Amino acid sequence: MPDNTKDQYVGQALRSRDGAAFVSGRATYTADFNFPGQLHAHIVRSPYARAKIRSVDLSAANKVYGVARVMDGQEAAEYLDPIPHYLDPSVVGGKYTDVHCLAIDAVRHFGQPVAVVVAADKRTARYAAGRVRVDYEPMEAVITAADAVADDAPKVVDAWDDNSVLQLPFANGDVDAAFEQAAHVTRLNVNIHRHSTQPIETRVYNALWNPQEGCIVLHATAQNPHPLRYVLSKALRMPENQVRLVTPAVGGAFGLKMHGHPEEALVCLLAKLLDRPVKWVEDREECLLVGAREQNHEIELALAEDGRILALRDHFLANTGAPTACPGWGMAFLTGLTMPGPYDVENIDVLMNAVVTNKPPWNASRGYGKEATAIALELSLDKAARELNLDPAEIRYRNFIAKDDFPKQSPTGLVLDSGDYAQNVAKALDLLDYEEERQRQAEARGQGVYRGIGIAYELTPEGGAIPGTMVAGYDSSTVKVDPSGYVTVMTGVTSPGTGNHTGIGQIVADVLGVSFDSVRVVQGDTQACPYGFGNYSGRSTIVGGGSAALAAADVKEKIVRVAGALMEVPEDSITIEDGVIGSKANADVSLTFEEVCYAAYTRAYDVAQCIDPPLEATRTFKPGLISHVPDEQGRINPYPSYSNAAYATVCEIDIETGQVELKKFAVVHDCGKVINPILVEGQACGAIAFGVGGMLTEQIHHDENGRQLTNNFMDYVMPRALDIPEIAVGHHDSPNPVTFMGLKGAGEAGVGGSAAAVVNAVNDALAPLGVEITDLPVSPPNIWKAIQEAQQRRRKSKDKAA
Amino acid sequence: MSLYPQYARPRKLEQATALLGALGTGTMVIAGGQELMPSMNYGKLALEVIVDITGLAELRHISQDDGRLSIGALTTHREIQDSEIANQVAPLLAFSVSQVGGGWQVHNRGTIGGNIVSMHPLYDIVPSLLALDAEVEVCDESGARTTKLADLIQDTKHGLGVTSILSRVLIDPMPSGCGWAYEKLKTTHGAYGSANAAAIVRVAADGRLESVSMVLGAAADRPVVMTGALGDLLGRLADEVMAAELEARCAAAVAQPLSDHQGPAEYRRAMAGMMARRAFLKAVERAANARS
Repeated sequence: MPDNTKDQYVGQALRSRDGAAFVSGRATYTADFNFPGQLHAHIVRSPYARAKIRSVDLSAANKVYGVARVMDGQEAAEYLDPIPHYLDPSVVGGKYTDVHCLAIDAVRHFGQPVAVVVAADKRTARYAAGRVRVDYEPMEAVITAADAVADDAPKVVDAWDDNSVLQLPFANGDVDAAFEQAAHVTRLNVNIHRHSTQPIETRVYNALWNPQEGCIVLHATAQNPHPLRYVLSKALRMPENQVRLVTPAVGGAFGLKMHGHPEEALVCLLAKLLDRPVKWVEDREECLLVGAREQNHEIELALAEDGRILALRDHFLANTGAPTACPGWGMAFLTGLTMPGPYDVENIDVLMNAVVTNKPPWNASRGYGKEATAIALELSLDKAARELNLDPAEIRYRNFIAKDDFPKQSPTGLVLDSGDYAQNVAKALDLLDYEEERQRQAEARGQGVYRGIGIAYELTPEGGAIPGTMVAGYDSSTVKVDPSGYVTVMTGVTSPGTGNHTGIGQIVADVLGVSFDSVRVVQGDTQACPYGFGNYSGRSTIVGGGSAALAAADVKEKIVRVAGALMEVPEDSITIEDGVIGSKANADVSLTFEEVCYAAYTRAYDVAQCIDPPLEATRTFKPGLISHVPDEQGRINPYPSYSNAAYATVCEIDIETGQVELKKFAVVHDCGKVINPILVEGQACGAIAFGVGGMLTEQIHHDENGRQLTNNFMDYVMPRALDIPEIAVGHHDSPNPVTFMGLKGAGEAGVGGSAAAVVNAVNDALAPLGVEITDLPVSPPNIWKAIQEAQQRRRKSKDKAA
Repeated sequence: MSLYPQYARPRKLEQATALLGALGTGTMVIAGGQELMPSMNYGKLALEVIVDITGLAELRHISQDDGRLSIGALTTHREIQDSEIANQVAPLLAFSVSQVGGGWQVHNRGTIGGNIVSMHPLYDIVPSLLALDAEVEVCDESGARTTKLADLIQDTKHGLGVTSILSRVLIDPMPSGCGWAYEKLKTTHGAYGSANAAAIVRVAADGRLESVSMVLGAAADRPVVMTGALGDLLGRLADEVMAAELEARCAAAVAQPLSDHQGPAEYRRAMAGMMARRAFLKAVERAANARS
């Protein structure tokens, strides 16, 4: 039996279990697996955004020594069915189209897979790929969202009657009346640029064919092993139980490793056809093809004199790129659904239009559209505050949902569980020394220094469930206790490097009364773990931890029964602490956890008659609040948990160059009960780096023909440690009444709130110059340009006055 | 065409140049590998033979001949920044080398020779070398020749061809009483520069400008040498007024600015001027301090 020294693990700042292996380079990633006889795949990709494929000539590639197989889309379609969509738009009233692993007659985006080469090594595959001759007939491409909705726009999908995947209104109340009553109307356009998430580990698929059992084993960088297994079985026309997914250590995922990618099934097929292991490692140029976040909002706020929002109107377009089986397009849906965020606004007219274009497709990207809600709303509130001459904190205080109003149904049908939004802002401002900072800003302005303060709030629905899809709200875990007293948790949720297995281990150790070190958590293998839905939507600790706790409690019940029989004391007197089992009824008897577990397995016909061995249980945690039964207005609530946070930052801008330096950053967030502050704060700080980088430097550019120009980390610049100021983190724990231990999601939140805080700080700094930027990013060149334009405007008006 | 190039690692400069003379095209010299390895790994560059010159110990030195600074082509960025001689004789060079991006790994492996011959418009070292009017020594089968760096980089390809090796860089010491500065603009810490400027000035006791060298980098496809074009500023007061004029002239001199992920053309042109102004003012201040 291991040493048991701690009483309580939940709430403790334990280091992530596998952290040491990650930071010392000893973690085993998918690409680290090499199998005897392994072949390497290379994908031939379209150089055009939109073109017909007249012919594909594979003969020259086939002649290259070392090439094992070359395949085009026509041939692949003989073996592969279209990829089942992660989130089929037709489930929510949108349009479906087949997505094939390799393009057949036409390409719809730059970088679309057209053919694949498999060879003895990577270089040979790449070289031979260069000898695949594709005869394209380029066609006029649809690049911007405005292009997509133009009257004479070419159709991205021939069979559709327009370029919208899904157009959906979120309407409530009497918006027109509110605008008529309004003392003031704030209008703005917020344009969010295309950027995404770039894990350092790119995608890798490493497939083995097992001819003995007729099984495919895919080692993959996948966030959702079981759902991907389903998708592969459909695309490969194989029974689901003959596909096994193994997901080794993941070097960051952020939604990009949610499935629907064409290479997933393709690599499996090739391994099967060639009867050899086949590996494909994505390069950075390929990884950067995945897009997200690009939206254009036209916003109007109807405001009362005191700054209360009477109504919100937001009509927005989302440029989701070409059709895909990945779930990226759904981000636009969530942007609409999350309106009006943390604010108590009944009258809304939100119209979402997610369009397809000939840019490469989106995939899910941390924030999943909720970041865009925060950016659009928070920039609007700051503009309204400037126009009404209100402090930006004050206008938020006047509009937040009050802490006593929970659970609160939003006008889009969400049911918000709990929170104290105003308190979070107040705490964040304390961490920032807000009043002092305002004074410092005034002094700085006197000296010609442009210093700004930005505040923003983000409401993040997490743990989502969408009916009829593999986006399930629940998950399952199995807890097994060995005869020697060691504990193994097998769970359907996965960890993309976030460390939720550490949190789950803490919870299980506390439930069982054993040491944290004696608990092992196994994730990501469909052959070992119960059917589960993996990692997305900040769900893993809520449902992974919840289900593991329930299963652990079931196992504990068996252990208690056996202990009672062994010690001849009543079961309800049994205590388990630090791996020692005692009795409140008789202080003289005690046994070790191991002794009882051993008896449970070995004395099935006497003292352990009272239980069914083994010491194992599988349970599911289904959080409450989720409702898929539409209300009278047809609305559902797909989320059990609404984490939320206040962000505040201070910046200084060099107005001659547009450079932004962040001086301070504070966040106060409410993720319900904190299982492990290190893990939670790590996620919060990571999200802030996403928000900061996304607003200041990260952008994916295409030329006017849709060719992607951004293809490496020299062009797509993410923030370095030096770009991020020290972050003051505060917690505000308002427990979620409907989840185990009051948990809310913690992994996804923070991208939009931190992004909006940065933009608001920049605009606050530049307010004296009459500069207001809502065309993002606020990159130095864009800031410089806005300053130049403002100066020109001022010169012109002076000239006029003269 | 071979997917796996052959590899040679000569130990003597004559062996290396003889090998290059015999091989011709399809061959490339590699030193620190900061430029070539990413290209090869990305499959952008397929070579027959790689000639690794890191075994040529004679190309790794920092020394002074007759007061002239000689830096072997294999000298790494780290060695130059840390070199007492380099900091004394050519502080502008030592400082601009310290501004090379990419972090410790690049500084420890990247070489001055590789930095020059890569001819990357966004790199940091060449503008300072041009401001210092540096010479380079180039070796081939027939022997060594010395040429002005400015002549070697007449267009966007270096003039070395495939048979020569850049062996060392030669720099005359900065005359006493000069001030120098190197200003670089990056949009964020991880980014390439959007513009830079290297300046050397001398100012008379009465504040009048006696000499000026100014080179603008990262704004166009190759460095813009402003030194000659600023000659008419000599004899005037080196002050804010002059700095503003210099800024405008430098910006205007960037006739065809780059337009890429480091910023659009209009921004690059303006920032080249801005960096020139800042470098000029800092150099003037240093020159005044040097005199007092």
